[in-house]
Amino acid sequence: TTGAEIDENEATSNIPKSAEDRATAAAMSSLDTRGAEEESVAPSKQLDSEALGKAMKNLNVSGGAAPAKATGGAAATAPPAEKKKAVKVDQADVTLLTEQLSLAKPKATELLKAHDGDAVRAMRAFVTAA
Amino acid sequence: MDIRVLRSSDIPHVQTANITNLPENYFCKYYLYHALSWPQLSYVAVDVSRPPKTPYDPPRIVGYVLAKMEEEPADGVPHGHITSLSVMRTHRRLGLAEKLMRQSQRAMVETFGARYVSLHVRVSNVAALRLYRDTLGFEVEKVESKYYADGEDAYSMKMDLAFLREKAPESDDDGEAQDE
Amino acid sequence: MPQILSPKDASLFRQVIKHYDAKQYKKGIKTAEQILRKNPQHGDTLAMKALILNAQGKNDEAFPLAKEALRNDMKSHVCWHVYGLLWRAEKNFEEAIKAYKFALRLEPESPQIQRDLALLQMQMRDFQGYATSRRAMLQARPQIRSNWTAMAIAHHLAGEYTEAEKVLTTYEETLKSPPSKTDVEHSEAVLYKNTIIAESGDLERALKHLESISKTNLDKTAVMEMRADYLLRLDRKSEAEKAYRELLDRNADYRPYYDGLEKALGLDKNKDKQALKELYDEYAKNNPRGDAPKRVPLDFLEGDDFRDAATQYLHYKLSKGVPSCFVNIKSLYTDDFKKNTIQDIVEGFANGKGVRETNGSVEDKSEEDANAFKSAVLYFLAQHYNYYLSRDLQKATSYIDQAIELSPKSVDFHMTKARIWKHYGNTQKASETMEQARTLDVKDRYINTKAAKYQLRNDENEAALKNMSKFTRNETVGGPLGDLIDMQCMWYLLEDGESYLRQQKFGLALKRFKTIHDIFDVWQEDQFDFHSFSLRKGEIRAYVDMLRWEDTVRSHPFYSRAALSAIKAYTLLHDHPKLVNGPLLDGVDGDDAEADNADAAERKKAQKKAKKEQQRLEAEKEAAKKQQQQQKSTAGADGETKKEDPDPQGTTLVQTKEPLKDAEKFLNHLLEFSPKIIRAQTAGFEVYIRLGKYLLALKCLIAASKLDSQDPVLHEQIIRFRKTLDSLSEPLPPQVSSVIDAELPTLLPK
Repeated sequence: TTGAEIDENEATSNIPKSAEDRATAAAMSSLDTRGAEEESVAPSKQLDSEALGKAMKNLNVSGGAAPAKATGGAAATAPPAEKKKAVKVDQADVTLLTEQLSLAKPKATELLKAHDGDAVRAMRAFVTAA
Repeated sequence: MDIRVLRSSDIPHVQTANITNLPENYFCKYYLYHALSWPQLSYVAVDVSRPPKTPYDPPRIVGYVLAKMEEEPADGVPHGHITSLSVMRTHRRLGLAEKLMRQSQRAMVETFGARYVSLHVRVSNVAALRLYRDTLGFEVEKVESKYYADGEDAYSMKMDLAFLREKAPESDDDGEAQDE
Repeated sequence: MPQILSPKDASLFRQVIKHYDAKQYKKGIKTAEQILRKNPQHGDTLAMKALILNAQGKNDEAFPLAKEALRNDMKSHVCWHVYGLLWRAEKNFEEAIKAYKFALRLEPESPQIQRDLALLQMQMRDFQGYATSRRAMLQARPQIRSNWTAMAIAHHLAGEYTEAEKVLTTYEETLKSPPSKTDVEHSEAVLYKNTIIAESGDLERALKHLESISKTNLDKTAVMEMRADYLLRLDRKSEAEKAYRELLDRNADYRPYYDGLEKALGLDKNKDKQALKELYDEYAKNNPRGDAPKRVPLDFLEGDDFRDAATQYLHYKLSKGVPSCFVNIKSLYTDDFKKNTIQDIVEGFANGKGVRETNGSVEDKSEEDANAFKSAVLYFLAQHYNYYLSRDLQKATSYIDQAIELSPKSVDFHMTKARIWKHYGNTQKASETMEQARTLDVKDRYINTKAAKYQLRNDENEAALKNMSKFTRNETVGGPLGDLIDMQCMWYLLEDGESYLRQQKFGLALKRFKTIHDIFDVWQEDQFDFHSFSLRKGEIRAYVDMLRWEDTVRSHPFYSRAALSAIKAYTLLHDHPKLVNGPLLDGVDGDDAEADNADAAERKKAQKKAKKEQQRLEAEKEAAKKQQQQQKSTAGADGETKKEDPDPQGTTLVQTKEPLKDAEKFLNHLLEFSPKIIRAQTAGFEVYIRLGKYLLALKCLIAASKLDSQDPVLHEQIIRFRKTLDSLSEPLPPQVSSVIDAELPTLLPK
């Protein structure tokens, strides 16, 4: 052919030549979830609707709280020991760590905070880390 | 020498064994497709005699069988298919191909209720044909013309797995299964 | 502002989506343009057009269009979703997640956007975010089993075993009737739950749960393996013994089963040799074709017992002519007694001493059998004297020559002869001999592969590619090399790259190492589709196993070897910028001014030659391109036409203005995933010292010292580090100096 693509057969023009290639392509296309109704919904007879409703309630109670509730609960009940110490860091030290250790700013700040804002201790810990 | 089920971390080495030995090659994702769709069916032969040099030494895979279940069988009968089977030349004549195949076939029956297993082989590959037909018990079903990318024909071969089902009576509840 | 389409145009818009889903991109573009003729500002249509352009590989056009779509309709979840998909295609996952979250704010109920966000969160290993997304999907559609499974995965991977188990149990309790016995998804889900219980450490409960599901579970091998493992770890030895014996009945060629049986029987390889020998003899008798029961005793037997067992094993294997006999026992050579005993045994076979068989002596064999045995013995001895622990290359050559005399057409014998030449250091002879072996069986790809490998070791790159082309798809874009790249043939790319590095052809070398780097990116990307696929298939244990492999995929030697070589190339380019133009005839260490003047003419000549070769290659490329345009391109499996490589020689790679920055890309992965390779740490030092990152260089020295404080390369680097610091033009920041002053003395020899 001259190389001009035919629109009618656009989807088929890329079909591989050999049977083995077609098998590979078919397998790969099954990975592509685009446009397909993908999830296997269990038949209604298999599921107990009442039990499912109860299960959903259990999920909300024990599997994990709703987002709003979770936020409130965490703030109120988190022990003070788990809170990060309010460590003041010197921006010059943050800059030093980003330059010397090739760290991103958040990681440099985190490293400093973990060592009470002491740049030397932070850098020593970093270079001797396993 | 270990015969064991294939894991994802084996794939680079199965891929290497494949491209070392056979003209039909595949990219990593195709191996993952097998390993994540039918993890019970593919097996590897590992040479465990080498001591490790580094903590990151990979397994030394000297043989593999890459297998699947046919997803939409034309004849409606659940059956397995051998995508690829190969043993490194240095480790031939140890019966590895047969051992790999037997493990895979049993899993096809036990896990997926396979009735038979099929494969393709080049008509010019006399050694492989001998292995499949004489050693393993496959039969030539038909010739598929120009099956391979280079235009060579393939023998389409089949092997009934009834002998394995007789050993596994627990899996024989097809009537009940079809009622569901 | 949402823009309402007329019913006719709305119908056309649905057609655009259908075309996109069916991968009919040209039709999709046409239909989109039809809408845009009347509605040029329609955001959703502009977004879909952008998405289609992106699918066609035209992301340069796609991005501006997607941004235009957003400008026209900031409140469209379609526009934001498409924008996210484009970022995702660019592998900028942070930006993609932001865009998806914008889209979800506009359309909280969209299952498609929820799913895309969850997939990306899993790809990024954001388990908390994944849990949040999956909880929303579960609450929206609780009838779908995979939504429950995904919720459990989120908890499991976050280390919340109790919650993960609870989610799976909650779903099971919603089932009115038991699933069918052939339901693989259910079978796997309960096994997945069992692995979570076991991973939490509660083996007693794991075993109890396993017992309750074992009769109906479809993965018999896994159930049996898990049960045996739990019993052994719970010290229920008699039941574990029975369990491992059942496993061995199914597969007598898996050493962990024997290990488990030994532990269950309370046998110690140092104290209970006789009992162990009897155990293995029993399995050898029941499994005549099995190797493990005959081979494992050679590991623990000693003295005359070892001699007897080894004689029997070797005679059996050599009588059968098993080519891998030597490979299978060479690990015993770390023990000098065993090595010498094996040597004596097989030398004895060669000199006519043999084990008397029940039906006669070795001499009574037929002539054909005797020759086969003799041939196998010679082959074994050649390999024995070729192996580094027992090396005597003269003897190896003598034995392999005798073997070849007996069997002149043996591919295996010529292969071993090539290996002997390799160990002599004669890569030319090794390559020739391996090529000769190849000609003895031109249909066997294995020997073809070995011939190409030995050619690459001898820097015969074109001959190697020509050999490879006998088994590749040469109509692929890029020819044989293109096919090898598509099929991710790592060993070839690695050897080819290392060969070009030896020849100081840095462009080509870096090209190959970059290709390996990119393949690892592809391997990591490959998991993406399985985040949804595996939930559909229901093989969750395999999915989690894959995730764990992907987390450290770059620790593979394919990557570390390529990275080390690439870093070496980049540091050479940094130190000797003239290498950009090609090899230096005097070697890289000739930095003297006097040598420079003397070799200036020769170097100019070499540069001229390199430039000429460059022009020739480009002319070849143009000719190939013309030929390509007359042929039809081979499409990839996913239907996308492959583009031709604009820079096959790696010219842009070698001409980098920042070689050390490029080296860092390899180094970062190397140090993250292979920190226990000492050469990785020494390579890191070389890069960081040149970059002036002295603390990072020190970190590498400390890590290397922990691995091997006696390493000579490390010693030289410590001295060089000290000298470099002493001769700095500007002083280091005082905090940096104090860290170095505190840590460096611990590295210096006492």
